[in-house]
Amino acid sequence: MTGGPLIVQSDKTLLLEVDHPDAQACRMAIAPFAELERSPEHVHTYRLTPLGLWNARAAGHDAEGVVDSLIKFSRYPVPHALLVDVAETMDRYGRLQLVNDPSHGLVLRGLDKIVLVEVAKSKKLAGMLGARLDDETIAVHASERGRLKQALLKLGWPAEDLAGYVDGEAHEIDLAQNGWTLRSYQQEAVDGFWAGGSGVVVLPCGAGKTLVGAAAMATAKATTLILVTNTVAGRQWKRELVARTSLTEDEIGEYSGERKEIRPVTIATYQVLTSRRGGAFTHLDLFGARDWGLVIYDEVHLLPAPIFRFTADLQARRRLGLTATLVREDGREGDVFSLIGPKRYDAPWKDIEAQGWIAPALCTEVRVTLTDAERMTYAVTEAEERYRVAATARTKLPVVRALLDRHPDEQVLVIGGYIDQLHQLGEYLDAPIVQGSTTNKERERLFDEFRSGSLKTLVISKVGNFSIDLPEAAVAIQVSGTFGSRQEEAQRLGRVLRPKADGRQAHFYTVVSRDTIDTEYAAHRQRFLAEQGYAYTIVDADDVLGPPLPQVD
Amino acid sequence: MATAFADQLRSLTDDALGALIQLRPDLVVPVPSDVSALAVRAQSRGSVARCLDALDEFTLAVLDAARLSRAAETALTSVAAIVELAGDTADPVDLRVAIDRLRARFLLHGPEDALQIVGAVDEVTSPYPAGLGRPADYLDPQAAALCADRAKLRRAVLAAPPGARAVLDRLAAGPPVGALSSGGTVAEPVRWLIDQHILVPVSEAGRAPRADGELVELPREVGLLLRRDSGPLGRLRPLPPAPDGPVREPKSVDSAGAGQAMEAVRYVETLLEALSAEPAAVLKTGGLGVRDLKRLARAANLDEPSAGLLIEAAYAAGLLGEADAAGNGRGVTASRASGLVDEIFLPTGGYDLWRALSIAQRWEALANSWLAMTRQPGLIGQRDDRDRPINPLAPDAERAGAPQARREALAALATLAPGAAPRADEVLELLAWQAPRRARGREAAHRDALAGAATLGVTGLGALTSYGRLVQSDEPPTDSDPLGAGPGGARAPGASNAVRTLDALLPAPVDHVLVQADLSVVVPGPPEPELAAELDVVAEPESAGGASVYRVTSGSVRRALDVGYTAGDLHGLFRRRSRTPVPQALTYLIDDSARKHGGLRAGSAGSYLRSDDEALIAEVLADRRLGPLALRRLAPTVLCSPVQIARLLGALRDAGFAPVAEDAAGSAVLARPRVRRAVSRTPVSSRLGDQAGPPLLAGPRLAGVVEQIRRGDVATRAARRAPVTVRAANGQQVPGLTSVQAHTQAMAVLQQAVRDKARVWVGYVDSHGATLSRLVRPVSLSAGYLRAEDERTETLHTFALHRITAAVVEE
Repeated sequence: MTGGPLIVQSDKTLLLEVDHPDAQACRMAIAPFAELERSPEHVHTYRLTPLGLWNARAAGHDAEGVVDSLIKFSRYPVPHALLVDVAETMDRYGRLQLVNDPSHGLVLRGLDKIVLVEVAKSKKLAGMLGARLDDETIAVHASERGRLKQALLKLGWPAEDLAGYVDGEAHEIDLAQNGWTLRSYQQEAVDGFWAGGSGVVVLPCGAGKTLVGAAAMATAKATTLILVTNTVAGRQWKRELVARTSLTEDEIGEYSGERKEIRPVTIATYQVLTSRRGGAFTHLDLFGARDWGLVIYDEVHLLPAPIFRFTADLQARRRLGLTATLVREDGREGDVFSLIGPKRYDAPWKDIEAQGWIAPALCTEVRVTLTDAERMTYAVTEAEERYRVAATARTKLPVVRALLDRHPDEQVLVIGGYIDQLHQLGEYLDAPIVQGSTTNKERERLFDEFRSGSLKTLVISKVGNFSIDLPEAAVAIQVSGTFGSRQEEAQRLGRVLRPKADGRQAHFYTVVSRDTIDTEYAAHRQRFLAEQGYAYTIVDADDVLGPPLPQVD
Repeated sequence: MATAFADQLRSLTDDALGALIQLRPDLVVPVPSDVSALAVRAQSRGSVARCLDALDEFTLAVLDAARLSRAAETALTSVAAIVELAGDTADPVDLRVAIDRLRARFLLHGPEDALQIVGAVDEVTSPYPAGLGRPADYLDPQAAALCADRAKLRRAVLAAPPGARAVLDRLAAGPPVGALSSGGTVAEPVRWLIDQHILVPVSEAGRAPRADGELVELPREVGLLLRRDSGPLGRLRPLPPAPDGPVREPKSVDSAGAGQAMEAVRYVETLLEALSAEPAAVLKTGGLGVRDLKRLARAANLDEPSAGLLIEAAYAAGLLGEADAAGNGRGVTASRASGLVDEIFLPTGGYDLWRALSIAQRWEALANSWLAMTRQPGLIGQRDDRDRPINPLAPDAERAGAPQARREALAALATLAPGAAPRADEVLELLAWQAPRRARGREAAHRDALAGAATLGVTGLGALTSYGRLVQSDEPPTDSDPLGAGPGGARAPGASNAVRTLDALLPAPVDHVLVQADLSVVVPGPPEPELAAELDVVAEPESAGGASVYRVTSGSVRRALDVGYTAGDLHGLFRRRSRTPVPQALTYLIDDSARKHGGLRAGSAGSYLRSDDEALIAEVLADRRLGPLALRRLAPTVLCSPVQIARLLGALRDAGFAPVAEDAAGSAVLARPRVRRAVSRTPVSSRLGDQAGPPLLAGPRLAGVVEQIRRGDVATRAARRAPVTVRAANGQQVPGLTSVQAHTQAMAVLQQAVRDKARVWVGYVDSHGATLSRLVRPVSLSAGYLRAEDERTETLHTFALHRITAAVVEE
């Protein structure tokens, strides 16, 4: 027994006791190969996954080292079978390589002939492999590079992609670091990405992912295609790029439902790319429109399935994925790994917060008790309508008003998922509403007002979930959501995490109806943040509504 | 000769005789009456074979050398002759030690210059000592002539074309006999060798005739010539092969092993819990079905081979047993053959006792059972000879030699330095050297033993752990205790050395938890049994291993409330056990759940009473005459009572109320009282078959009687015709012969008759026990049956040989 900070579980989770003196050293040792799964206050959970082990292998760590650090930091004996499994899993990576052969172009090379034979006869690879050149090499058509990697990963023999990248059309881009500098972790993220060639950078909302993208562009110095979730987010990117880099307005094009500009740096929305006419994707030409040197995927966890398919054809270009969370509600993390690339950088939210880069946030769950009439309505509602009934209870309105009154001087966002409820809120609070049908022009106007401070309260629907940048929103009140979506909760919290000018405390309120399915969904949503170390405080609506208790001592 | 052997034994000192018995313990089971009997037994095939089984490769090679070096006339050899034969391939000292080993066991006996080999050795070993063929003059005169002229022989061998040379080299390495392919065409190289008389075609009496062609044998002289470089006995290894696998730090071996041991114990627990939650049916053919194995393996997050192994070990340790589907343990009397009761596998009561032990003790129970169980878990999932998969706990995986194989494999590991981690192949090679005759055919069992040792944590990182070494040596050594009558069963109570050693390696149990805001509860080590029991109730397990992670959910809190915890108890429990402040989310969860708990009440009642008139209900409730009905008010308009509705109605009517019964749908049920009647009876007049007189026989019973009479008739007639000896053998002894001798004689007669195609009187006992004689012409005699044709009836009869009492050729 070594008394180390780490406990290795047989289901391949690693428990790290945070308060142990060796915890920091242990975290540094295991971070390269274990995925941080949860980081609540006392015990962080990491997981050994094949993907994580292969990532580590790709970064040059060997099985021996991994086993050594497990044994070194483990408090208890590590089961033999687990060590064997780790070594065997890591051994699978790189047995196959995708390389550029001078005479045959792209080939799949097997360092282990038997593995090559095994995968070559797999039905899943049918049609992807070309002629067998010799014992160790099989020709691969360049267009199958992505799909082959995807299929090999599924077979459990991930290929090492050594075929390199095209440089793309060169375009001078520099960071304009006047009065600001890249933060240390942003620089680390860019370096990690560039060394790996392609991959995903995971940073919390408000930690400056846009700057990581800009820095990556400045490193690539090539034409860049940026894919974002919606038009507003695109404009935000454009503003940021003009401010932080040597790029000018004219060099940046917007490719959206409204405008179709193709410039050296082009920002396109997922929506326009995946729009179809007559069953065919009409805007695919964009990918071939220029010789892109870099493709940036914003909010990778939302990447729609068709984009994966297009990405399979872009394997020769450098790809950078940016996200706050790799958790995908559809479980396609493996596709992100094989098509965009392995995770290149990750930092626990709390660490970045501790460094002062994102605003500290106080999360509060306010429980309202439904009136008897509302309870009766809820009780007899059909199952599929129950959440709507519970989440949109009118009882929540006075609570929201009371919360607003608590923060009279702050910019407040009220976020909800049901339009009817938002209209009620809008009327009740006398605040403007931004929803899906709001025109982009109107949206920008409202956001500008909000940003300038002339508008204190804004009610937004789901459209606000992504990438609108409202630097001075210090308080967010959530009244309803998309059922139990964990990443939505993280996104919404992200709205208030951007650092405030005066370092004020950010507040995140969730108003839920007690004893209904609303509470259950809220608990599910909070799970992710609780695992990130954000502890929710639960208060009763009556405490919010009632007068503050008199001081008696 | 036997006398000479006995005399030698008799002349031994008591110590020497004792030493022999120690080396060959089977000689005294049962204790022989005198030294002659001991000598007979020492020369018997069984005892010699058993003795040879325990000898190592080198000693056996020396025994082969002794057989080769026997002088043709006297069949004696000597130490000098053996040393000379071995030449410079082995150190004479090693040879002498090996010879002494053989002499001590009385496989070789007599003075040094006139050693005699026990006759049975030739019978139980290969006819080709050291892989050399028989002498040429025994095989073929022409080959003998060739071999007599050494120069000519050498020229002939050197002149062999490459193909023929390859055949020669293969036969020279042994065995010296090769089969020719069927079809009559002999490959050119072999034909050449046969023409040159270098190879001799044989169709051997000692071997079963081969369907795929004839055999060729390489004469001994040619073999020796070809072995000029390697020595006449081939490569000799006086020392066991040293495995060159990596040597691990003994500490990390113990650590990895202890981790695995802990896992094994936990896995067994998970498997049995899964089995307890959903018992698995016992297959008709015995054993646990594939689907159940898959399910259990999935539940424990294990691969199927390991799950199969642990289930077998748990069964052997008595943690798991069969019960009938109703859950009653299988008694001694309930037989599986009845087939009426569906049986299931369930954890036994022993499992609960086992769970109360410390991890190390639990592990020891598993490991010891694994060592001793006559099962080969590696067979699970493989196919048997009828191509059906072998299931865990099924009789197909029963292997009597398995415990021996496991002990051998572990003992082989124990002979190496601590921390040595040989590869499986190296261990097998070592075992093959230590006892080649025993290891042959046991490779699978040995591999299985090594795999099992790794799964159970007896080995760690491929090397034997310190506690594994103790478990392995804790086993009573079988050699000194062939009957298992030793103290194995009555081991002293208290922890064994292995348990103490393992205990020191395992983490100490902890009594506290860490509660976090995401409602996860982490036990940073193996929980104390009491803590584990508490957590099992109030939280859902999420991850297990060195530590365990639980999560508190509304479901788990409700479960705790259901078993009697109050919200206060739960708060207290977490406050007491948690080293960290209890998060507010958990407090709320408990309070919310407790508030909702019991909001609905359910119960059972015999009958209810309802009325829209609340006053009427109140009146009924207040009526003292209705006290025995134990009415209880559920609502202002509803009463309920534990008594049945008929009694309720009766009592109410007696009290002057006018109730009406209603059915499940609420509509009134009107009933008229039923008149009581006894069970219907049949009138006497219509009874049949009651006439006086003897019973009429009919059907099969009649046929049986007839057959019996006819059989007696036939027997008498046949007996009249059959010769006296055949008749006499039926039922009584032929004078001068024991029944065994008579049987042997009958067999001899029949064998001769098959060859002569002669007719024979055969006396036999039929399946009804009747003795019969029959005149038949034997056709074949094999596999325990005589097949013979009866020319009179032109039918082919098959007689079981053990039923034949006599046979006499027809005069």
